[in-house]
Amino acid sequence: MFAQKHSISRKLTWMNMLVSGAALLLACAAFIAFDMITFRQAMLRNLSTQAQIIGANSVSALLFNDPQSAEKTLLALKAAPNILSAQVYLPDGRPFASYSRDRGPHNPVLPPIPPGQTETHRIENGQIALVRSIVLDGKPIGAVYIRSDLQELQSRFQRYAAIAAIVLSACLLAALLISSVFRRAVAEPIVDLSKIAKVVSQDKNYSVRATPVRSPAELAILIDAFNEMLAQIQESEGALRMARDELEQRVRERTAELETAKREVEEFSRSILLAKEEVERGSRFKDQFLSTMSHELRTPLNAVLGFSDLLADERYGPLNDRQQRYVAHIHTGGKHLLKLISDILDLSKIEAGRMELAREDVTVASAFAEVISALYPLAEKKSQALHQHAAPNLHVHADAMRFKQVLMNLAGNAIKFTPEGGRIELAACQVDDQVRVEVRDNGPGIPADQQQRIFEAFFRLTETGSATEGTGLGLAITSRLVELHGGKLEIESRPGAGTCFYFSLPLVAIIPDEAAPASIPMPRAPRAPRILVVEDNPATGQLIQSQLTSSGYETLRCDKPERAMEMAAEHQPDAITLDLIMQPVHGLEVLLQLKNDPRTSMIPVIVVTIVDQPGVGTVLGADEYLIKPVDKATLLAAVERCLRSRGGSAPARTILVVEDDVSTLEMIVELLRVYGYAVSTATDGAQARASVAQSLPELVILDLVLPKMSGFELLAEWRSNPRTADLSVFVLTSKDLTKEEEKYVHAHAESLFRKQNSWREPLIKQLERVVTSTSLENA
Amino acid sequence: MHRPNETFGRQPNVQRHLCARARRGFLQFLTFIIALVFFTATGLLAQQAKPSEYQVKAAYLYNFGRFIKWPAGIAASKGDSFPVCVLGRDPFGPILDSTLAGEALEGKPVVIRRIAKEQDAADCRILFVSSTEEHHLKEILAATDQAGVLTVSDIPGFSRRGGMIQFVMEGDRVRFEINLATAESAKLVLSSELLKVAAAVRRNARSGD
Repeated sequence: MFAQKHSISRKLTWMNMLVSGAALLLACAAFIAFDMITFRQAMLRNLSTQAQIIGANSVSALLFNDPQSAEKTLLALKAAPNILSAQVYLPDGRPFASYSRDRGPHNPVLPPIPPGQTETHRIENGQIALVRSIVLDGKPIGAVYIRSDLQELQSRFQRYAAIAAIVLSACLLAALLISSVFRRAVAEPIVDLSKIAKVVSQDKNYSVRATPVRSPAELAILIDAFNEMLAQIQESEGALRMARDELEQRVRERTAELETAKREVEEFSRSILLAKEEVERGSRFKDQFLSTMSHELRTPLNAVLGFSDLLADERYGPLNDRQQRYVAHIHTGGKHLLKLISDILDLSKIEAGRMELAREDVTVASAFAEVISALYPLAEKKSQALHQHAAPNLHVHADAMRFKQVLMNLAGNAIKFTPEGGRIELAACQVDDQVRVEVRDNGPGIPADQQQRIFEAFFRLTETGSATEGTGLGLAITSRLVELHGGKLEIESRPGAGTCFYFSLPLVAIIPDEAAPASIPMPRAPRAPRILVVEDNPATGQLIQSQLTSSGYETLRCDKPERAMEMAAEHQPDAITLDLIMQPVHGLEVLLQLKNDPRTSMIPVIVVTIVDQPGVGTVLGADEYLIKPVDKATLLAAVERCLRSRGGSAPARTILVVEDDVSTLEMIVELLRVYGYAVSTATDGAQARASVAQSLPELVILDLVLPKMSGFELLAEWRSNPRTADLSVFVLTSKDLTKEEEKYVHAHAESLFRKQNSWREPLIKQLERVVTSTSLENA
Repeated sequence: MHRPNETFGRQPNVQRHLCARARRGFLQFLTFIIALVFFTATGLLAQQAKPSEYQVKAAYLYNFGRFIKWPAGIAASKGDSFPVCVLGRDPFGPILDSTLAGEALEGKPVVIRRIAKEQDAADCRILFVSSTEEHHLKEILAATDQAGVLTVSDIPGFSRRGGMIQFVMEGDRVRFEINLATAESAKLVLSSELLKVAAAVRRNARSGD
């Protein structure tokens, strides 16, 4: 504080002193300089006068060569104490007479006299030297040189400087005294103001006021304004404090409210968590229920179906008509039940959001072909024509299995509800960036009022004349599956004008060149067996060919029965399929020829016909006799049998069947024995493990859900052991596999069969291929 | 610079000297040169390094005219020139003519007359009496006594005997004695300057003889 006061006062004083000091100094300097110049000029004038007098008094001395006279004249200069020396010179520059006070230089250098002038001077070393020429009658007759010191000038300067110093200090003293007056008038109010400002800023005390002053006016205004500002701040601060208090009160209230609300929310969220856990538990229970259901229901049903199949085969004695019919009823009922269970489980899975899609690029045309080949027997039974129209490179991104399921359901329905001789068509075309898939029939159509309800579960058309078999879930599942794929199943129908179901799925960029063959799983045989297909109906021939080709066989086609003999002899196929009703030569004739020719007599012949006379075929040497419509599995099984019987003996080692359900186990064993395999069994994981450890089986058929040790554990153990790492394992299960489980099985087992689907034929077929190929490799 | 070409042309040695000196010395040197030029240019009387006795005396004759005032009436009666006369055998020769040629005194051109008789002397302003005329000095002085003629001679005892100015030798230096009384009686006013440089000034008219 004091330092601040000191600072402004000192500054004011300094300013005063500096200004007055500078002004005085300048004035003194100017005055002294002016006086010095004037005085010097006076001195010069004096000197000049003296020179002139000397000159005038020296004329005669010069003219009459009388230096003594001149020196006498010069001696007069003794009276002037400033004259140091003087000389009179002759015109030729020789010294004539001289006078010296200080015994200075006797022959000084003369300053030059400018032409036209008679006098010049030079000032140096504190001395003035003056030269004046002596002129008589316009002619120079000599010159006077006078040298004077500047002692007088210097002493005068010193005197003046002393006076100036005295005046200066007196003035500064006066200024100092005056500035104290200023300080009182200006500095002290400012210092006072700064004190007040400090109090305000440090203590936040707005009640203090600065002392008002009357002058200077600016300071008075400043202090008044400052005081006014303080008053305003005081006022607004009061208001602010009030507002703040109010706000704090409100914040406290709000906080309390929020606290309450938070507690409520926490309680609520706890209850939600509980509910969520409940729901999750329920969901888990539901999942568990579903998977248990699928397993527990299917296992006995599989037994029912399997044994009824075996009974119907009449392998254990002939059945009478009634027995045959009953067995057929058991089989149909069981199949229906299995289908119903599968559908319900599917629907539940979809509803629960647990249906996982394994999306991939699916070629629409090949999906069509598979569906048609699967449904062909059904359609043929009703003399219906199945057509497909799809560009070969049309692809959709879909789960292949589900996509085919959709098509199968729709086409199956169409076959079911279309009268005999009808026409069913599968078509796909590109509309913008979508693929529109249609399943169209020319059946009776669906009344408009029922068109939307048909997608509901368990809804059945009321007016259909045909037998109302089916679960009533097909369309519901189909519709949901299409929705899962991002499409919408719709219907277009008018009674009497047929029905069209259609949906659209996003198009996949068309792959220009088909790289598909690489992805087709090829059998492990070193060379694909070659099959000659003798069939004069192009459609049927093509179907059989495609069925065989898709399973890895090489096929040859013969559509002219009269040439069949030649082709067989020429190409030496591994097996021949033969139609019977052909033109111009009957199939039986061809069969006879083949069997009678030594080149072809060893080739197995599979008769594929609608003529139901197996006996005749067998008599004539046919190895297999299949009655149309023939599904793919049956055909392939027959071909496998023929090839195996031709290729070599049954495997020496056994097939180990691991299955905990006794009836299913018995059924599988029976099935395998029918096909001529040696079988050993295990009913739990531990047994299976021991059995494999004791002797390595040819192949293992493994259920995944087992007591003591699960199928997964067994697989893992076997795969980690080098002895069993290459052991062929078929997984046969009724468990609903998750994606991960399915992936695992695909990675560690040869094949996967699901009991909910028809698995017997595919199993046998696959079995034959694997066992055959291993025996071939062993041979 | 005052005609530097001329200066340098006249002083080639000095120029060489200049080159040898430092720059500060140049100014001093230049000053010296200019002073030298001034004095040589204006010093007409100093052209002869050693003037002979009569050369000095000729100049003195002229200089006397400068320090003396003649009475106004006499000045008018003696015409438009300022005659300087030599009586008797002329010791100056051509020196006197060359020294006084073109000069003027009291605003009148100086003319030189060589006369043989003292009667002719009355028309002169300044009369130099040759030593050959010593024998009738009395007559000469008498003839010029009231004619306003300044009588000058180097005859020994001339001023004592009534002459106004007498040359005397102090070693090889030419000086003069003045008989102020005679001059004043002739109404000539001699400047104190002249008296100041005189070797002796007689204030009584005559002493003996």
